[in-house]
Amino acid sequence: MSDFLLQMRGIHKRFGLVTALDNVDLTVRPGEILGLLGGNGAGKTTLMNVLFGLYQADAGAILVQGQSAAIRGPKDALTHGIGMVHQHFLQVNDFTVLENIVLGSPLRNWPRLQLATARQRVQELAQRFGLAVDPDAPLADLSMGVRQRVEILKALYRDARLLILDEPTTMLTPQEVDTLFQSLRLMVAQGVSVIFITHKLREVLAVCDRITVLRNGRSVLTLARETATDSALVQAMVGDALDVEASLVFTGERRGPPRPVVGDAAPLLVATGVTISDDLQLPAITDCSFAIGVGEILGLAGVAGNGQRELAEGLLGIRPLVQGQVTLAGQPVRLGQTAHLLANGVAYIPEARMADGFLPRASVAHNLILGQHRQPPHSNGRWLNWRQIVARARQQIGEFNIKTPGPHAIGANLSGGNIQRVLLARAFARPLKLLVAHNPTQGLDLPSIEFVYQKILAQRATGMATLLISENLDELFLLCDRLAVLYRGRIMGILDRDHFDAYTVGSLMSGAHSPGQQQEAGHG
Amino acid sequence: MADTGLLIFVRRGMGQVLPYLIAVVAAFAVVGVVIALLGADVLEAYRTLLFTAFRSPNSFVQTLLKFVPLLLQALAFTVPLAAGKFNIGGEGQMIVGAIGAAAVGILLADLPPLLLLPLVLLAGVLFGALWTLLPAWLLYRFGINEILTTVLMNFVSFSLIDYVATEIWRDPAAGHPTTIPIGLGGELPLLLTSPKLHSGLLLALLVAVAIYFYVDKSTAGYELVATGANPRAARVYGISVRWLFLFSLLLGGAIAGLSGAIEVSGVHHRLIEGLQSNFLLLGIIIGLIAKGNHLAVPFVAFFIAVLEVGANAMQRTLTIPGEMVFIVEALILIFVLLSDRVRRA
Repeated sequence: MSDFLLQMRGIHKRFGLVTALDNVDLTVRPGEILGLLGGNGAGKTTLMNVLFGLYQADAGAILVQGQSAAIRGPKDALTHGIGMVHQHFLQVNDFTVLENIVLGSPLRNWPRLQLATARQRVQELAQRFGLAVDPDAPLADLSMGVRQRVEILKALYRDARLLILDEPTTMLTPQEVDTLFQSLRLMVAQGVSVIFITHKLREVLAVCDRITVLRNGRSVLTLARETATDSALVQAMVGDALDVEASLVFTGERRGPPRPVVGDAAPLLVATGVTISDDLQLPAITDCSFAIGVGEILGLAGVAGNGQRELAEGLLGIRPLVQGQVTLAGQPVRLGQTAHLLANGVAYIPEARMADGFLPRASVAHNLILGQHRQPPHSNGRWLNWRQIVARARQQIGEFNIKTPGPHAIGANLSGGNIQRVLLARAFARPLKLLVAHNPTQGLDLPSIEFVYQKILAQRATGMATLLISENLDELFLLCDRLAVLYRGRIMGILDRDHFDAYTVGSLMSGAHSPGQQQEAGHG
Repeated sequence: MADTGLLIFVRRGMGQVLPYLIAVVAAFAVVGVVIALLGADVLEAYRTLLFTAFRSPNSFVQTLLKFVPLLLQALAFTVPLAAGKFNIGGEGQMIVGAIGAAAVGILLADLPPLLLLPLVLLAGVLFGALWTLLPAWLLYRFGINEILTTVLMNFVSFSLIDYVATEIWRDPAAGHPTTIPIGLGGELPLLLTSPKLHSGLLLALLVAVAIYFYVDKSTAGYELVATGANPRAARVYGISVRWLFLFSLLLGGAIAGLSGAIEVSGVHHRLIEGLQSNFLLLGIIIGLIAKGNHLAVPFVAFFIAVLEVGANAMQRTLTIPGEMVFIVEALILIFVLLSDRVRRA
C-alpha cells in the first residue's frame, strides 16, 4: 500500500446544488511530480483545498502513506507533511523573507526572537533545492518569482513531503518558469513529491512524471508522461465540447484571413510619449509611444501590475495623461471623453472585472448595456427601450453561454466566468473600431476561450484594431501581429510576429534591455 | 399567450409581495404579544391600527395629509440612494424649504394666486436644494461623507426656523413659535372642503410618478442606478459619477424642500416650528422597506400613513402608547430585510 505517498479515494464535494467533485481518485508516489490538469471550474483547486483541509469532503477518504488521515484544517495537513503554495500569496510585505518563512512556527521569542537556527535552516533548504533567496531582503522589494520561492520555502521549512502548487506559473516570466522547474526536479530527486496544478498542457508535459486530468469534477484520465500525448490530454480536458483539430487554442495556428497590410494606412490609435499616474499619483506609465493600425492586434506583455491598467485607462480618457498625447483616427482623446468613445465603436474589457466592469447590484440586462445605454437600440438617448434591451439580453445570454436565470437576474449571483462572459458580450455587441482588452479570457473554460479568440479575429478581419493586454504569452503569440513588452511602466521593446520568442519576451518582461529585434515605436 | 404572460407577471409580483406580507404579519404578531402583556385587547388594537384610516372621511383625509410628506420624504431619501448616497438631511431640507415658502408667501403676500402659489412652491424647491448644496459640494470636491454633513445640516435648520419664527415674522398672538400667515394667494387650492384636503396630494403623486419614470425608464436614471451599483465601473464606462452624486443629493433636497412648502402652503398657511414632525425617520424607514424600488415607495408610504393615523386613535381609545406603532414599523423593516437574507441563503 505504501507504494503511494498519498491516496485520495472517492472524494465528493457539493456546494449547494453544484457538485464540485464527484468520486475523484488521485494518487501520488514518493518523489514524483503529478500534474493536475483541467480547465477552469474542473475542480482542481477544490480538490487541493480538500487535501489541504480548507474544505471538508462530503464523502471519500484521504490516505497518507497508507494510513487514513483526518485533515480538518491546514494544521492537520502540515502535520501529515502536506504543504500548499496558493495562487495568490498571503505574505507580510513589511517583513523580511526570513520573517515571512518562520511566521506562525514555534520559535523562542524571549527575550527576543531567536532567528539564528531558523536562518541556517532556511539557507540550507534554499541551497539544497536551488531556491535562491536573501533571507534578510524586505519582501516588498521582491519579484513574483522570488516571492513564490519564499512560499515554497515556507512549506519546506515545515517539513512538507508533499508540495501542492496551484497554478504556479501564471505570474512568472518564462525564465522564472524554467528556474522553478529546475527546483522541482531537485525536490523530487530528494524524495519530496509535488502536485502541480495547471491548465497549461505544455508545462505539464515539460515537468510532470504522471498526469491526472479533471473535467467537471471527475477524474477522467491518468497517464504516465511517456504515454501521454497532446491530443489525448486535450480530449480528456474538454470532452466533445470542442473540435480539437480545428481549434485555435490547440493547433496554435492562427487561421482565418491573412494579416492585413497596415503599413500604408494611417494607424488608428497613436500614443506619443504618454505618461500616466496611478491612484496614488505615482508614475505608472512613463513615456510610452506606440501605434495600432487598422486591423492590427498589438499585444502588450508584462508581469501584472506594471502599469497595464493605467495605460488602458489613459488611452480611453478614463485617467488623465500627465504628459503626451493619444489620438484615435487623428482626433486627440481627452479626459472624460469615454462615453463618446464607447458610443463610437470603442470597447474596453477591464481586467478587474468585478471592480471596474460590473454592476453587482443591478440586473444582467443593466450590465449588458453599460456604456451603450445612450445608443440605439437600447435607447433613443433620453428614454430606455426596455423591450429591446431585454430581447437583446436574451440573445446575448444564449450566444455567449452566460449561465443565469435571465436578463432580470441580479448580477451579484453570477460566477466569475459568467461575469467575464457578460463583459465580453457587452464588448462584442456591435462592430468595433478599437478594442482594448485586458486578460479577456481569464476565468473561462477552453471552448469559451476559443469562442473569444474567434470573435477577436473575426472583427480584426473587418478592420478592428486591438490592444490585447495579457499575462498569458501563449495567448499573445497566438493572436498578436506585434507585441510590446511593458516593464515598470516603460515599453521595453516592440517585436514583430516573426520575432516572437518566449525567452526574448521573458527577458524584456524582467527589465533586460532591448535585444536586436527591437524596433522603433510605430507601426508595421 | 397573453394569459401566460399575465400569469408570469402575477407570479413574479406575488414573489415580490409575499415577503412583505409575511413581514407585516410577523411584526403584528410580535406587537400583539407586547399589547397583550400590557393588558389591552389585542384584536381591538389591530382593528384600530389598520382600519381607523378608513372609518370616516375625516380620518381618511388625515391619512392622506400624512401620506403627502411621508411620500416626499421617502423620495428625498431614495433618489440619492439610487446613486448609492445617503441623504439623512430630509428634515432640514424640509424646514428650509418651508422657510423659503413662508418668506415668499409673507413678503409677496399681495400677489394674485396665479403668481404667488407657484412662487411659494418654487421657493420651497429651491431652498431645499440649496440646503443640500453644501453637503453635495463637499462630497463632490473633497469626497466628504454625505451622511455626516446632511445630518449636521439638520441641526442648523432647527436654529434657523427658531430664529425666523420668533424674531423675523413672529406671530405675537401664538403661544408657540409661529410666523404670521402667508398671503391668501399662496395657499394650495382645496380638493375637498369638508374635511379639508389640499391639492398638494396631486403634486406629491405627480412627483412620485416623475421620479419613477426618471429612475427606471430614462437613460439619465440608468446612469444613476449604475453609479449606485458600482461607481468605479460606472466611471470606467464613461458615466460622470461625481456629478451624479451631486445632482442626486440636490434633487433629493429639492423634493424635501417641496414637502416643506406644501406643509406651509397646504396645511398650516404659516411657518410653525416642529412642522417636520418625525417625517424624516419614517421616510427613511419607508425607503428601506421599499428597498429603493420607486414603484413600491408610494404604497409603502400609504401603509405607514395608515398605521400612523391608527396609532393616534389607538392611544386615544385604548390608552396603548402610540409609540407602539414605531415598534410595528421597525419590526416590518427588520423582517423585510431578514426575508432577503433567508431567500438568499
